[in-house]
Amino acid sequence: MSKKSTVAKRGAWLLLAGTPLLIMAPNVLAQNTQSGWDVHGYYENDTQYRGEDYTGHTAGLSKMRNTFQLSLGKQVSDHWKFHATLRGTFDGVYRMNASEYGNEAGGPIQLQNSAYQAFVGSPFTNLAQPFVPHGGGLNHDEATMLGLPPSNAFGINSTNPGAPNYNPNQGMIVLGQRWHSVNRGGVEFGVPVRPCNVDPRGCVNFGGYGNLSRHDLEFPEFNNRFDFLREVYVSGDVPLSPTKSLFIKVGRQQVIWGRTDLFRVLDVINPVDFSRNNIYDELEDTRIPMFITTVEYRMGASKWFQDSNLQLVWNMEKFRPSNLGQCGTPNSILDAGCFFRGMKNLWDNGGTVANFAAIPPGTPPNAGGAGFAATDFGPHQIGIRNVVLPKWTLNNSPVGLKFEGVSAGGALSFSLNALTYRSQLPSLHGINTAAINSFTGVPGNAGSPPPFNQIPVEHLIAFDMHFPRVNLFGGSMDYQWDWAKSTIRFEGAYTRGEEFANTLQPQLYSKNPVFRSVIGIDRLSFIPFISGAQATLVSAQVFFQHIYDYQSKHGPLGPEGIPDWKNNLTFTLLVKPTYMNGRLSPQLLIAHDWKAHAGTVSPSINWLVNNHVNLTAGALFHYNDLSRYGFDDCRSCNPWAPFTTYTNANPMQAFTDGSYGLGGIEPLGRFRAGPLGTAGKENQLFVKLRVSF
Amino acid sequence: MKKKPLATALAALLTVPSAAAIAAGQSTGFVENNSPTGDAVVDASFNPYAKGMPTSPGYTPGVTINKENVEKYKDILDPGMYLVIKNGWYQVQTKPTFSEMLPKSYRDATKADYKNVKVDAKTGQLDGYVAGRPFPEEPSLKDPAAGLKLAWNFQRGLNWGDNGTINPFIFQYKDMKSGKVERVINIEYHTLNYKHRFENTPIPDITPNPSNVFRSIYLKVNSPDDVRNTQLLIQRYDDDRKLDDTYLYLGFQRRVRRLPSAQTTDSFLGSDLMIQDFEGYNDRVAAMKWTYKGTKNVLIPLYRHNELKLSSEFPQSNGYKFVAFGGQGGCFPEITWQLRKVYELEAVPVDSGSPISKRIFFVDAQTGALARTLIYDRKGSLWKNWIIGKTDPDYQLAGNKGSGIPIDDSFSMVDLESQHCTTGQFEGQINPKLSPERMFQVQYMRDSGGGN
Repeated sequence: MSKKSTVAKRGAWLLLAGTPLLIMAPNVLAQNTQSGWDVHGYYENDTQYRGEDYTGHTAGLSKMRNTFQLSLGKQVSDHWKFHATLRGTFDGVYRMNASEYGNEAGGPIQLQNSAYQAFVGSPFTNLAQPFVPHGGGLNHDEATMLGLPPSNAFGINSTNPGAPNYNPNQGMIVLGQRWHSVNRGGVEFGVPVRPCNVDPRGCVNFGGYGNLSRHDLEFPEFNNRFDFLREVYVSGDVPLSPTKSLFIKVGRQQVIWGRTDLFRVLDVINPVDFSRNNIYDELEDTRIPMFITTVEYRMGASKWFQDSNLQLVWNMEKFRPSNLGQCGTPNSILDAGCFFRGMKNLWDNGGTVANFAAIPPGTPPNAGGAGFAATDFGPHQIGIRNVVLPKWTLNNSPVGLKFEGVSAGGALSFSLNALTYRSQLPSLHGINTAAINSFTGVPGNAGSPPPFNQIPVEHLIAFDMHFPRVNLFGGSMDYQWDWAKSTIRFEGAYTRGEEFANTLQPQLYSKNPVFRSVIGIDRLSFIPFISGAQATLVSAQVFFQHIYDYQSKHGPLGPEGIPDWKNNLTFTLLVKPTYMNGRLSPQLLIAHDWKAHAGTVSPSINWLVNNHVNLTAGALFHYNDLSRYGFDDCRSCNPWAPFTTYTNANPMQAFTDGSYGLGGIEPLGRFRAGPLGTAGKENQLFVKLRVSF
Repeated sequence: MKKKPLATALAALLTVPSAAAIAAGQSTGFVENNSPTGDAVVDASFNPYAKGMPTSPGYTPGVTINKENVEKYKDILDPGMYLVIKNGWYQVQTKPTFSEMLPKSYRDATKADYKNVKVDAKTGQLDGYVAGRPFPEEPSLKDPAAGLKLAWNFQRGLNWGDNGTINPFIFQYKDMKSGKVERVINIEYHTLNYKHRFENTPIPDITPNPSNVFRSIYLKVNSPDDVRNTQLLIQRYDDDRKLDDTYLYLGFQRRVRRLPSAQTTDSFLGSDLMIQDFEGYNDRVAAMKWTYKGTKNVLIPLYRHNELKLSSEFPQSNGYKFVAFGGQGGCFPEITWQLRKVYELEAVPVDSGSPISKRIFFVDAQTGALARTLIYDRKGSLWKNWIIGKTDPDYQLAGNKGSGIPIDDSFSMVDLESQHCTTGQFEGQINPKLSPERMFQVQYMRDSGGGN
């Protein structure tokens, strides 16, 4: 039994052991209160049902999550206290909807082959079809017949389980079919979706996800990072004077910076688990607690400030990125988990890529038309080779400093923040020469005819995954705007070191400074026709992002450069009245991505049945605009001249230049669509029941 | 202390009233304190019962007033209590009046400084105040600023003294028709006076205090789970023209957020109270237009906690027992009432967006407490009946004995329109150690709530 599964099984027993505790909760509470322990917790069931994706297929049950959480606290001395939060989750969706998210998910797929007319009447009957199965694209023999070197490395093993790199057409979906149509002439490829114990293709640890078995997915906290220990820390406030004190907190904890909802401009110390419920659960439940030491010098009132505080944060735990959700699970933000798994499988085993190889008119001889043939890339040619997770070193430990205060006069609450850390989102660095040249069968351009064998490989879609160092400088403030009877919140951060996909760069990424900010306004209004004498909360936010040193140009065939928008805005609006003395509270949450033309409308209603039972029901409706997301997909990046040079283009592509801008939605359209646009077909209903004690 | 020449006072105000107005003694700027000089004024203010307890024809302390005999006692009942008794929702158990003498330090502070205190009838602002009761003189219907002065007497009143703590502070939301308890909320509540202190060092002010905060209230919700760790920090400035600053910490967000000022008139955690109701009235003086309506003797909920029939609900490790509730829907405190001298005070919100049209306070003349409040909706109908029961501190927790601070001990807020109520049961404590200064800082909220 592996170490991980042992930990998981022990964790599952802990979870089961907690059940009688829940039943006995009132007695436990009474006993522990007398002994100085503060004990509380809850059981929660979150059930969700998802509608059709772009294939017209209804996903069905998308969550049957059962969570048990227990919080313990004790004042251990006058100034020191202990706190622990334990959480265990079992999500039954992987068994209850196995055909969508479990062992039977996915199936055989077909990939578009827009060059099919070029092959009508040719010997390549498989390529004379508008769609080919995974493993049915342009292969070694066909490439050779088309005049490529016989040493070419096209072709995959999709039929022989006994041969290496077996990559059958089963248990797959087409990349992107969850959020966009896949018949648009772009590049797509098959992605295995079954849990990694059932189908290990493309499975690798992307930093806490990507290689999880069904059991791991069902019990997400019980892993080798002991995530069931959500928080365990000791904190102490040592008085230095009546108003000054030294505050120390050591242990696994969440450190929250900033003042805004939903958007994480400064709140970046803890990574986030988006696999739990995309962006829709409270951050308290989705931040991944880390072992952190915080030291605060609380200075209290002074001549200049009504209140001030200097905080030092040191994240001592080994690096963890945010969990973007494993492909095949219900929540894979940006559909990134599928892109990564598909790319990893392409590297390991090769695969068929839709509409890839350019077939000029007249190729093959005597055939008409032109287009892009579905192409079978062999192993180690394109895809993701390695995931480089930062090791634990002092240099890799995030360190932050915050000065926070309330101005003399009280008008302004503010913070100034600085943090150096490793990006919690991955960046793909092109490995270029390290990959096998599909046309020659050897790495780089070494096997190409002179003088092309002297040209370094650039712009190749083969990568290692990295997590770059980022330095952040920011601040936040809030201000009471008397005239509008509103509170204004602001948060901003400037970062250096973040990396973005960039098809104009040889390694297909660039480092760009970024500025992000959020302005929020909260107003309580008496709107008699909504909630009578009780106020209705209206809260609006605008998120702004600007990428410095932005690179973009229109190539002969389409846009190239950084797919993310140079400047973008996202708006949120929350309207929340209350009824029945606050026990019944409907709400409407709207989010809209300005550039992506995408958004979410989520009506819901919460009913506090009594002190212990809380019921929430609601829906999520998404919209997007697929016409906005097309971007350079690097089919025309020309890494292996002369084979990949677009000779038929006008003007003809140079033998050494990068991309010509040919594009589609995959793979970079996800950065234009953003989290809202890529959730375009994740419309769902949800019911959440929480019983607390 | 020698009275300031009127001309000097006016010059100090940079106002130029007409000579005729000065001659007529009209209030055109600061209103001079016209009461007789001497400690007798202060003594009379703090001990209105020196010459005997109030009486009313036909009323004998000890009588129980119910719907059968309520008409007989209508004159000693405020309209709200008359209504709830007449409807058969509650019966008032009376007891003999006792004198509730406030702490000597507060009375001495009043004597030392009251003669220098002025209020601007136009801006409503206080000037020359150090500590104690600003206006101990008997209010006069002829004085257009009388209501304002009474408001200041409360705002700079004793209340919880320099520091106060209520822990636990149990709110119960009840359907008055069925008596069903819909929700129980356990809160702890702390107050700290930064300025005008009279009892605990430093006196009179805590420094540094660059924002010139007068008083802070900090509260934290300890249960139930959905609102656990919700915390509120209210900072009221000495300059009454300046809006309060209110900070909110939500447990699930783990962030401190500044709260819009309008929140003070919204339902507090869904209860029948708004933040503005806390302690009788919790807002700026400038938020209302104040009118003194007269002096009378009415029944007020002042009692001796240990002499009540107490509840066995919510047992405490120290053996403390809370006031029991009964009456219609369990909405009314089972306490005793006594006939006391009160000032009727009307407050009309300056903000036209307020959900209320006016408040009528019955200000206990001796203690300055707002033990009874009637709240009217925007249409002018009686909306809420607000009772704050106070106990003599010598008859409650041992630690409060001798403090001289009447302890808030129970409350009932009845929404007469929706037939719903929120009741409160207190364990109030006068102990500065329970409300240290660092508790009233934003950072404390983060620490206490588990955030950073």
